[in-house]
Amino acid sequence: MSFLELKNITKRYGPLTAVGDVSLSVEKGEFVSLLGPSGCGKTTTLQMIAGFVEPSAGTIRLDGRDITRAKANSRGLGIVFQSYALFPHMTVFDNVSFGLEMQRVPKGERKPRVEEALSLVHLSPYAKRYPRELSGGQRQRVALARALVIRPPVLLLDEPLSNLDAKLREAMQFELREIQRKVGTTTVMVTHDQAEAFSISDRVVVMEAGRITQIDQPYRIYEHPETEFISRFVGKTNLLPGKVATATGAGATVSLAGIAVPVEMPGLSVGETVTLCIRPEKLRLTQPSNGLLTGRVADRFFLGSQWLYHIDGPLGTVMVVTPNDGSAPADQGAPVGLEWTPSVVRVHRGAMAEAPDVALEVT
Amino acid sequence: MTRNGPVALIFHALVVIFMLAPLVIVCLVAFTPENTLSLPTRGLSLRWFEAVFHHPDFVQSFWNSLWLAFLAATLAVALAVPASLAITRWEFPGRGFLNALFLSPLIIPHLVLGVAMLRLFAVIGATGSFGWLVAAHIVIVTPYVMRLLIAAISGFDRSVEQAAFSLGASEATVFRRVTLPMILPGVTGGWLIAFINSFDELTMSIFITSPSTVTLPVRMYMYATESIDPMMAAVSALIIGITAVAVLLLDRVYGLDRILVGQH
Repeated sequence: MSFLELKNITKRYGPLTAVGDVSLSVEKGEFVSLLGPSGCGKTTTLQMIAGFVEPSAGTIRLDGRDITRAKANSRGLGIVFQSYALFPHMTVFDNVSFGLEMQRVPKGERKPRVEEALSLVHLSPYAKRYPRELSGGQRQRVALARALVIRPPVLLLDEPLSNLDAKLREAMQFELREIQRKVGTTTVMVTHDQAEAFSISDRVVVMEAGRITQIDQPYRIYEHPETEFISRFVGKTNLLPGKVATATGAGATVSLAGIAVPVEMPGLSVGETVTLCIRPEKLRLTQPSNGLLTGRVADRFFLGSQWLYHIDGPLGTVMVVTPNDGSAPADQGAPVGLEWTPSVVRVHRGAMAEAPDVALEVT
Repeated sequence: MTRNGPVALIFHALVVIFMLAPLVIVCLVAFTPENTLSLPTRGLSLRWFEAVFHHPDFVQSFWNSLWLAFLAATLAVALAVPASLAITRWEFPGRGFLNALFLSPLIIPHLVLGVAMLRLFAVIGATGSFGWLVAAHIVIVTPYVMRLLIAAISGFDRSVEQAAFSLGASEATVFRRVTLPMILPGVTGGWLIAFINSFDELTMSIFITSPSTVTLPVRMYMYATESIDPMMAAVSALIIGITAVAVLLLDRVYGLDRILVGQH
């Protein structure tokens, strides 16, 4: 039995189903992220775990105990809110101490525990300050210390880093993970930022329109997205529509605008409409004559550690990302070849949901 | 920040002078040794202040007004806090009606309220009762408190309460330890404005005070209709003085900006 278990959780608001039939098992000490665009039901799911929203159907079990209808103040979970939700009229120390006070921890024991929590988030010198005297990152840490000081069985994080600027966000990601490892608290985080979810989670739960579409380790979701939506939502990708030309036992060839592309996917039948999905970093630029395809550099963008190219060719515009190895990039307008190994091509059955130019869309 | 041009400065100066000049003049007149309302030209005198303190009716009315304003403001706040919370946070049938009802005394002329209350008190046999005078004042000051509180509660981040709740606090504890302290500027500001409005109220009070409950503004009005002497100026100067001290104290303790404008 898992530590935290959601079984067929559903939340309906009138005719609208915000969360439909969500089942999820989280192991003790695991860091799980709920990832999805806004309105996908991830926050509602978190609020049902927290006890702020009552599920219309389904059960939530924590350590074997059914907490589906338990009040939020009896669950003992630690929650970090997107807005941090610090008590503005209390000092940092009192903010962190509040939960211990509510749990009737004796006064003498509170002080060392608050100090321990503050030192965990590197805020010991700020105990006497008020939240308004702290920066965004520091408030974030206070919120984390306040949630962890009560030693919750599960830590819930609601978009914890989205109010921080890019650089701080990255630093906090790693720190968050480090603290979580040190304390060993089972953690469920809600985020719309896939980089955030991927870099610090053990497993990622992708949600779409109130349902879970894939639960897997971050790199597996990136490499083996189960739906076209996921491949589009997670990272950049090239989506190329085609038809199966030949099929053998283990593989097939797909015809893309008259070019035969080998793929490794069993069970395809000749004439079937498919969408090929190739990550930009899996494509390589070569001499025009050597590639599987030829094209022309339409645009190039310098991203620091990488170059992003838009290549115009027979398949429309294709994105290619190459590492910046210090050599000169391909020139604008230059003819180039594209090559890749068949194993990096993912095949989704059926036509693309939208027009081909969304292949250029960045998450 | 942009600097004000000379025209704007002159305009601002005129507005300030226009607002302050009558107060300054009434304070000066209070120190006149003459028997008429005149600026002191032949030295200063405290005789009219002395007259006030030897006038038992005025002293009695001052305490009446102080008590009345204190009770009306305090009870109005006690009423307005739960009412504002309910109106701002919950959807329930009659919510719009209740909101309008609480705010309606703002738009009903006090003259009309006074006549209506007079009739009402006569019917229920409450004429001259101090308790019912307080009740009438609560009706007219509650809207001011509600306006400030609704503004304070609307800008309130509910997740702060959720955070307290998730840390194990009961509903009552969340209210006492989190909600109330966070809307305290609205509560204090509301109380202050209610107090001032009640202390200052004349039109309605004329109808519903009895000889034993006459408030200070009513007493001043009655006195002024009979005779005009510098004692009126002395009373006014005293009220101005007390108000100024109270406001200064509040600003020292709380910061007026925080109370009247909002948090932080």
